[in-house]
Amino acid sequence: MVKYLCDGTSDGTLSAIGLILQEHSDPGLVTLSEREDTLFEEGMFIATDPLKAEDLFSRLKEKAPDAARTLYFFMLAEQEGMANSLLHYIEQALQHGDKVNGYLTHPAVRDIVTVSRKAARELHRMKGLLRFEKLRDGAYLAQMEPDHNIIQPLAYHFSRRLRAQHWFLYDRKRRTASSWNKGELRFGTIEQFTTPALSEDEKEVQAMWQAFFKTIAIPDRKNPRLQKSNMPMKYWKYLTEKQGE
Amino acid sequence: MEVTIFPAMNTLAKLQILSGAARYDASCASSGSRREGAPPGGTGNTSQSGICHSWSDDGRCISLLKLLLSNDCRYDCAYCVNRSSNQVPRASFTAREVVDLTLEFYRRNYIEGLFLSSAVMQSPDQTMERMVRVVETLRVEERFGGYIHLKIIPGSSSELVRKAGFYADRISVNMELPSQASLQRLAPQKEKAAILEPMALIGREIQESLVERKKIRSAPRFAPSGQSTQMIIGASPETDFQILRLSQGLYKKMNLKRVYYSAYVPVSDDNRLPVIASPPLLREHRLYQADWLLRFYGFTAEEILSDDAPHLDESFDPKTAWALRHPEFFPVEINRADYGTLLRVPGIGVTSAKRIVAARRFSLITPEGMKKIGVVVKRAKYFITCSGRPFEQSLHQPAQIRQQLLLGEGSGEVKLPRQLVLPGLYA
Ligand code: SF4
Repeated sequence: MVKYLCDGTSDGTLSAIGLILQEHSDPGLVTLSEREDTLFEEGMFIATDPLKAEDLFSRLKEKAPDAARTLYFFMLAEQEGMANSLLHYIEQALQHGDKVNGYLTHPAVRDIVTVSRKAARELHRMKGLLRFEKLRDGAYLAQMEPDHNIIQPLAYHFSRRLRAQHWFLYDRKRRTASSWNKGELRFGTIEQFTTPALSEDEKEVQAMWQAFFKTIAIPDRKNPRLQKSNMPMKYWKYLTEKQGE
Repeated sequence: MEVTIFPAMNTLAKLQILSGAARYDASCASSGSRREGAPPGGTGNTSQSGICHSWSDDGRCISLLKLLLSNDCRYDCAYCVNRSSNQVPRASFTAREVVDLTLEFYRRNYIEGLFLSSAVMQSPDQTMERMVRVVETLRVEERFGGYIHLKIIPGSSSELVRKAGFYADRISVNMELPSQASLQRLAPQKEKAAILEPMALIGREIQESLVERKKIRSAPRFAPSGQSTQMIIGASPETDFQILRLSQGLYKKMNLKRVYYSAYVPVSDDNRLPVIASPPLLREHRLYQADWLLRFYGFTAEEILSDDAPHLDESFDPKTAWALRHPEFFPVEINRADYGTLLRVPGIGVTSAKRIVAARRFSLITPEGMKKIGVVVKRAKYFITCSGRPFEQSLHQPAQIRQQLLLGEGSGEVKLPRQLVLPGLYA
């Protein structure tokens, strides 16, 4: 067994994987883990090389586009301690191509695919559950606290959809933001966030939506359990229809 | 100063009446249409896989702003709350109100788009024209690119039907009742021809537009997300077999995307209607399951039911019921059976069957392997072998299996009602 360490950032992990796959003819005999701050480090540290990381990603994209997508969503999950699984997942992907995602009996493949699916599912959910509020200056703001770091693909989705309005997304957990105005999509961070004032007609529109939400349910078929399993309570905080219930 | 964009009688009161009247409409799918980006200077696109924006208190997905343009009906269909002889508050939206609600909701990401239906106001044509005006305003003036589902009023002119299909992603004509005889009895002002003719017209137009678009990419689309219909279950005497055969015909001959079933909710004591204590939800649920077998699992109506046994089993889902009648088909060997055969195993759905096929490319699947790839064998275990090994100690008698399945489920306790799953969303 050969042991390697990396710094645990996505670039760090990917560049280490790139190097290992280049150097070792049998990566099955290699393990990779994230460096921890202990006195006794076991293994050889591979320094981060963003070019190497990019290189690996484009190779994967070419050989197994589905696996590259899986990797992208896996990264959004910001999972720690999975560098070794990732190494062996990518090794399998380069060997088998896109059908690798069906190889769920392989432990590393299953680990990565499972995490990746969760991130993809939250992204899909947030495409529906995100709520914008109109601000006094006419722009729209949506706040969220997702489990996964999905602001980038989410903003992209809304840049195709809500093109005619000026909007902001704000991830309160990570203090990251995205904005769209006149065809330009931007990303950044907001350290000091103060909730801006709402437009004067905002409450009126919200009341309409709340009324619709109440009326559309069939009274004899109340099913709070089903509702919560489809729409977990952790998302209710920013749901307009769940305010003041 | 109070600023209001919605004038009095207020749009809020109308919204309550007219969304309440639409709540029994089962269809809420927003999938299957792809309008990539918003039109220039406009708002909205559609998503191939459909997006739920919320789940209402009954657990159903909310995807579209579901409204009637009006509930002020001239007709007197026995099974309907809006029938003219019923004493309920009446309201009608202006086109502008519906347009504004749709846009304001869409901009805040409450919805995927609009689902607009209506009671028959002065005449079918007059009603249909007002509905078409709503979507025309949305598409042309407001450059709205989101999803639109429009109901066709039976009896409206083919000119208006064509216009509707030109602007909407999906259009639908309600079957209402599963036979001509029932229609005559319960909805005497509607004729079967008035329902089937527009259906056939829509089917043809969709087909033609697909062919045209293959030749010229910019050829106009016609209802790109297809056509659906809905019928009421339990207000009339048809058997499940009759209903399924009707659906099968609609899928095959009329190219329908979806048939929705809606359990009859007793709304009047009209003596032409059956007296029931509550809506037949279990029956509706079983019909949806059988319908899935038709659309995704390669079953025919004749395999599921017959003239001798024309009703769906209450204690078992239709696939399990079929399996119990066909012991000769089982056990199915997980490592060898083709995809279509795997789909016939009770408890194995599209996702599981796909995972099995994908995983066995790499190695033989063991019973532990089934767990690893995330296939639940709770129900399937009676019907499969893994590399020749049975899962469950030789329970080969259907009677035994039936017993076991019933026990395992707390004897016939059925979860109800199920969320209507949007096709393509999880597959
Ligand atoms: S035409 Fe439609 S709204 Fe009017 S009574 Fe019949 S079913 Fe109800």
